[in-house]
Amino acid sequence: MAETTNGEATAPRDKADGRVGANDIIICRDVKKWFGDFQALRGITISIKEREVVVIMGPSGSGKSTFIRTLNRLEEHDSGQIIIDGVELNNDLRNLEKIRSEIGMVFQQFNLFPHLTVRRNITLALSHVRHMRKKDSTELAESLLERVGIPEQIDKFPAQLSGGQQQRVAIARALAMQPRIMLFDEPTSALDPEMIKEVLDVMMELAESGMTMIVVTHEMGFAKEAADRFLFFDEGLIVEEGTPEHFFTNPQEERTKLFLSQIL
Amino acid sequence: MTATTPPVAEPLTVRRARLWARENLFGSVPNTLLTIVTAVFLAAAVWGVFRFVFFTAEWEVVDANRRLFFVGRFPSDETWRIWVVLFTVAGLAGLSWGLWSGIGMKLAALGLGGLALVFAFMAEGDVAWSTAAIVALFTGAYAAARWLVRTTGYAGPARNLAVAGWLASFVLATLLLREVNTALWGGLLLTMTLAIVGIVASFPLGVLLAVGRTSTYPVIRLFCVGYIELIRGVPLITLLFTAKFILPLMVERERELSLLGIDVTFPGVEMDDVLRAMAAITIFSSAYLAEIVRGGLQAVPKGQVEAAKALGLGTARILGLIVLPQALRAVIPAIVGQFIALFKDTSLVVIIGLTELLRAGQQVTAQPAFIGKQAEALLFVALIYWVVAFSMSRASQQLERTLGVGER
Repeated sequence: MAETTNGEATAPRDKADGRVGANDIIICRDVKKWFGDFQALRGITISIKEREVVVIMGPSGSGKSTFIRTLNRLEEHDSGQIIIDGVELNNDLRNLEKIRSEIGMVFQQFNLFPHLTVRRNITLALSHVRHMRKKDSTELAESLLERVGIPEQIDKFPAQLSGGQQQRVAIARALAMQPRIMLFDEPTSALDPEMIKEVLDVMMELAESGMTMIVVTHEMGFAKEAADRFLFFDEGLIVEEGTPEHFFTNPQEERTKLFLSQIL
Repeated sequence: MTATTPPVAEPLTVRRARLWARENLFGSVPNTLLTIVTAVFLAAAVWGVFRFVFFTAEWEVVDANRRLFFVGRFPSDETWRIWVVLFTVAGLAGLSWGLWSGIGMKLAALGLGGLALVFAFMAEGDVAWSTAAIVALFTGAYAAARWLVRTTGYAGPARNLAVAGWLASFVLATLLLREVNTALWGGLLLTMTLAIVGIVASFPLGVLLAVGRTSTYPVIRLFCVGYIELIRGVPLITLLFTAKFILPLMVERERELSLLGIDVTFPGVEMDDVLRAMAAITIFSSAYLAEIVRGGLQAVPKGQVEAAKALGLGTARILGLIVLPQALRAVIPAIVGQFIALFKDTSLVVIIGLTELLRAGQQVTAQPAFIGKQAEALLFVALIYWVVAFSMSRASQQLERTLGVGER
């Protein structure tokens, strides 16, 4: 078990225990979303508990990315209800910025800020959203880079790093805000094969440390090992949900079977 | 002809030069012909200019009218105001250069050479002393800044101080120079004043317009689009005429209006011609800058904004910390190109009766002693324009290099 440095969720995760009596940190009720005439989400209802790791799979265009992007309002849902940690997502900007700073997000394309050093990428929001002092934010950046295994890269620019290193910086940047939830939108899809493992290792460690995580990925190894729950999306709906064992040994839905047969 | 050129790194020898020439200049029959024809034209042109500059030309027209070229009819006993501004700028320039980046040897040699030329030309009484003071101030400030960067940890605060210094110098220059009636300003002084004010004022305005054009508020967006398209559809001369003849009708007369039953008196605003020219140039240039900056804004990937939003940054911070720095960096060459165009466009203010550098060059040849010396006067004017424009272009390249660290 690696050490966590941000002072949260330091206890080792006990999967059985973590589920019982834990609060629902994310509640979605009948969430719908249209892009013009196209309906991307056709009524998503789900609750996710604290410390839970949820893996979302599904064919492309099934709405899985759109769904996790509605959770921090990068996409606005058109109807239904999303409640994060007791606060409903709506047009209230104050709520929004507070909720966003409590949800970390890691993107497929890393989206590091190319004009800033690794250090500044990590500390930017700390100084401008958390109003943390420079000394403290730098210390936090150093310890987070240590945690993701690249402390020596702190003064480089993103373009000077490999894809895997960039994605690890992106994870460190998200963790710096000490989020209660982490969203991963296909975090390894843009990486060369030899770099996927270094990113998955960091995510594994994070899952074991008790972080609430929602991960859109096609990495079966990671899913089997880390996930508490699987969601299978198709055409804007959750068509099947269950434990990893259920998913890999006994899928019920035809579409799930078909999808799994194609990617396994 | 596909022979390979020798690598640049190898030492230059006569043999190498011959090899290069054979491959690149005389590779084939058409190539050889082209080389010969070009060489003949080039030689004729260079010889013509050389002969004119060093033998035919009589440079008294420039020498005798230095004052007109540089400051127009600016009163002699007020010239100290200009010198004080130049001293301030020299000190600040040395300081900034030292704080942000060192000067390369080539650039230093170029600058010293240029200064030596100026000195040879102007070395006379007070002017010589003042020029020497400028060099001393620049060098001293530069050395101090380098020392600060190398040996102490105060480069950051010093940079903030330098920026504040530049802002203060603007106020200082305004306070000093406005004491002299602008009708007496002329020559390079007027050209540079118009250009600098135009650049400094149109840059933020252009950025605002560009950002406004991407706004989600229809009123702001429509205003910005309307402004940009209207101004870009009109020649600068029209704007200058408007500023000269129509603006006074609108603002200079005191008028009383009844607004919602309350009587309001608008005091008339006196505008002199220089101020009008400044306004017209700023308005004109900001519309073009806005379109350049918009191009930069569009070049910033959407993921950048999303990542910043996901961190909880607000709209203003996303714009100021993430989007604008990347957008502006991407369009530095185009922005500087616009500034160079603006600098040269200041020559159009002659049509509202101002005697800027080009007009000064024409006026001196109206003196009975110098009739027929247009070529000398205009060549001198062209040289000054070129030196300034070329410096701007070099400065832009330096800026790109300085900011280019970590480019993806």
